[in-house]
Amino acid sequence: MTRPAVEAVEVGKSYGGVAALTAASFTATAGEVHALVGENGAGKSTLIKILGGRVRPDTGVVRIGGNAVSLSGPQAAHDLGAWTVFQELTLLPWMTVAENLLLLRETKGATGLISRSATIRDADALLARYGVHHIDPRALVEDISLAERQTIEIVRAVSNNPQILFLDEPTSSLVEREVEWLFGQIRALRTQGACVVFTSHRWAEIRSIADRITIFRGGKDVGTFTEIDEGEAVRLMTGRRVEALYPPLPPMPNAAATALEASAMSGPNVRGVSFSLHAGEVLGVGGLAGHGHRELFRMLFGDATATGGQLTVHGKTRRFRSPRAAIAAGIALVPEDRKTEGLLLRMSVRDNATLVILKRLTRFGVLKPAEERRAAQSVVDSLRVRTAGISQPVGALSGGNQQKVLLGRWLLAECQILLLYDVTRGVDVATKHEIYELVLKLASEGHAIVFYSSDAEELAHLCHRVLVMREGVVAAELHAPGITAEDIVSAAVRDHLAA
Amino acid sequence: MSGSAPGTILHRAIFNKEGRRIVYAFVAGIILFAIGEAVRPGFASLDGIRSILVVASFVGLVAAGQTFVILIGGIDLSVPWVLNAGAILMVVSSLGTNDRAIPALALTLGMGALVGACNGAGIALLGIPAVVMTLAMNGIMQGLTLGLSGGMTCTSCGAYAPPVVQAAVHLRALGVPVVLWIWLVVIIAVSFLLGMTRFGRATYTVGNNARASHLAGVNVAVVTIVLYALSGFFSAMAGIMLVGFGGQAALGMGEPYLFQSIAAVVIGGVYILGGRGHYLGSVAGAISLTVLVSVLLAFNMPDYGRSIIYGLVILALLLLYGREEDSA
Repeated sequence: MTRPAVEAVEVGKSYGGVAALTAASFTATAGEVHALVGENGAGKSTLIKILGGRVRPDTGVVRIGGNAVSLSGPQAAHDLGAWTVFQELTLLPWMTVAENLLLLRETKGATGLISRSATIRDADALLARYGVHHIDPRALVEDISLAERQTIEIVRAVSNNPQILFLDEPTSSLVEREVEWLFGQIRALRTQGACVVFTSHRWAEIRSIADRITIFRGGKDVGTFTEIDEGEAVRLMTGRRVEALYPPLPPMPNAAATALEASAMSGPNVRGVSFSLHAGEVLGVGGLAGHGHRELFRMLFGDATATGGQLTVHGKTRRFRSPRAAIAAGIALVPEDRKTEGLLLRMSVRDNATLVILKRLTRFGVLKPAEERRAAQSVVDSLRVRTAGISQPVGALSGGNQQKVLLGRWLLAECQILLLYDVTRGVDVATKHEIYELVLKLASEGHAIVFYSSDAEELAHLCHRVLVMREGVVAAELHAPGITAEDIVSAAVRDHLAA
Repeated sequence: MSGSAPGTILHRAIFNKEGRRIVYAFVAGIILFAIGEAVRPGFASLDGIRSILVVASFVGLVAAGQTFVILIGGIDLSVPWVLNAGAILMVVSSLGTNDRAIPALALTLGMGALVGACNGAGIALLGIPAVVMTLAMNGIMQGLTLGLSGGMTCTSCGAYAPPVVQAAVHLRALGVPVVLWIWLVVIIAVSFLLGMTRFGRATYTVGNNARASHLAGVNVAVVTIVLYALSGFFSAMAGIMLVGFGGQAALGMGEPYLFQSIAAVVIGGVYILGGRGHYLGSVAGAISLTVLVSVLLAFNMPDYGRSIIYGLVILALLLLYGREEDSA
């Protein structure tokens, strides 16, 4: 621990009267990996945006390399050797991986114009240098998975040889193997004397790589530690004690009715997947990103067309041509990206909660405002959504509360089959716990749940059964009790290890 | 945020940005009236106001359709020739007689809605960008109109609008021209549709995020087609009113209404990328735009000067609103 590489002194920032940071201080030194932890809304992302030059603080001082600086933008931070990998991905979707990687430093050909082939060659070399072999530099960013995009973001930042690297929840969209890769890059930077600051909600990762941990709560730092156990950290983050993170798995009802049965379902990226799902069951789906989970969910929900196989819902053979048809059959989907596929961010909590059941809240197409308010309020009350009111835009809520509104929408619709796709991604630990409880409560009330998660630990604790998908087929089926995250991961990567 | 219970409209008008924009647009109209009165006494007399509102109502009707499609992030560039075709179809099919007026009205409005539905179908089902689809449709309607009317040389083309249609524009009820009563009904109906119905809510959700709406079971294609059909309907309706106002149809009579309808919507604070805004804003926009034109006329501003000022006003407003967005 030597000189401070980056310092924030009593930094404050408000958005429209709401304080995101209040006199928060933070110091990270060269050659260390420093974790920022805290609940969503604790101010971690805002601090990183300030240090990365994307947001200007209202009050306080930022020092980089010992000098007070006033960053006019990300470029100014880059000039000082500080690079950031933001949580919202910043790649240009309609350009290729290579163009994104080498943006503004593309390789020029003999004519002095950008050479496409040379750019691709250099991008290829760059990816290889950082041990990334599975991404085609010619691919459009639009076509690659979230995890691959995150990988590209990281390579782009790391390849600029940063003195200081900020990573805002870099692992939330990565699976285990990619996390290992990322940690390899972080360790290499540390060895070179760089300072790495990252945020994460995953305790195991924090423990495995961070030299120091700073905890944030309510827009302020509440302590920096070199050694702290999880229980204590959670207490500091939330201001209260959280019992075991995973609630106990309720028993599977005996002889429960089959809610959903897929036999040999095939389609884009999915080959012959069969399973049956019972009322009251949580069926986990796991595996590496890009191995057909997303497509499977879309098919089950009528958002993609199955090319083969059969789907039976509550005993009836179904062929969904649209999500509307699936919803009518009592199927709900909480999609991967709640911000772009789930919620209408600028619309109110009420509008979002009642969207699916509007038919019930109208007479001859005319809304019944009082009933609609009641319905929305019931979601807020029963799921304990933290919001100033049902007319608040849903985008103003924290991630976990947004997720609750989305879940509440389907509960209002009384859907019996819930397809939950990575519902705890980017959600803070206390809200995660609430979502776990909710999922299991719904199961014990007789809902049938298909639960995909990029977090193997979650699958191991919350599911009665786990299907591990690899290359579009079910590679393994694991049964509770006794599922471990290691089982899931090893089933998912077996081929990769052999290769 | 979408429309909500009527009780909150006042609250919204005072406290949120959208509401404020509607107020700004109305205030701008009032200030312009005052300027007009100062330059040319009598400008803001009852008669003056009445005649300006009548002219504004034509823009306002077209702007109703434009509001619908802009709310889902679209645009309708087929306005000029759908309007023009509507005007001509009205006189040709009615031959200027009252007993044919009703079928002629139905035919004309139906034509507008059908052309609009074709726009919507191309956009929603074939994935054609709204700008391209409606621009092409404008060309098609221009060709059809010119071809079928033989460049307005057909025998019935010179017919007058049925007296009942002319009366609707020129007669007064309770001191207010009937056309303004019609506009008032449209204002209430459109605001009700957007604010109080399931269809209106679907319009806002599609405008906010079509993908999320689709995944929540909203029939995005049907919503899109109906909204464009409404736009075509209102263009045709404006055509009917205009032919009632002027007595006869003319080629090119729809041209000014493309720019003016979009301008009215923008001035009224409807977000140009969709999802937010109210027809009341477009109404305020249509009125202030029309007063602005009249004030410039009162200053004896030539045609080209008015065009320049139009453009500057739109740019200034978009800059202002854009800035407001950032500070939010």
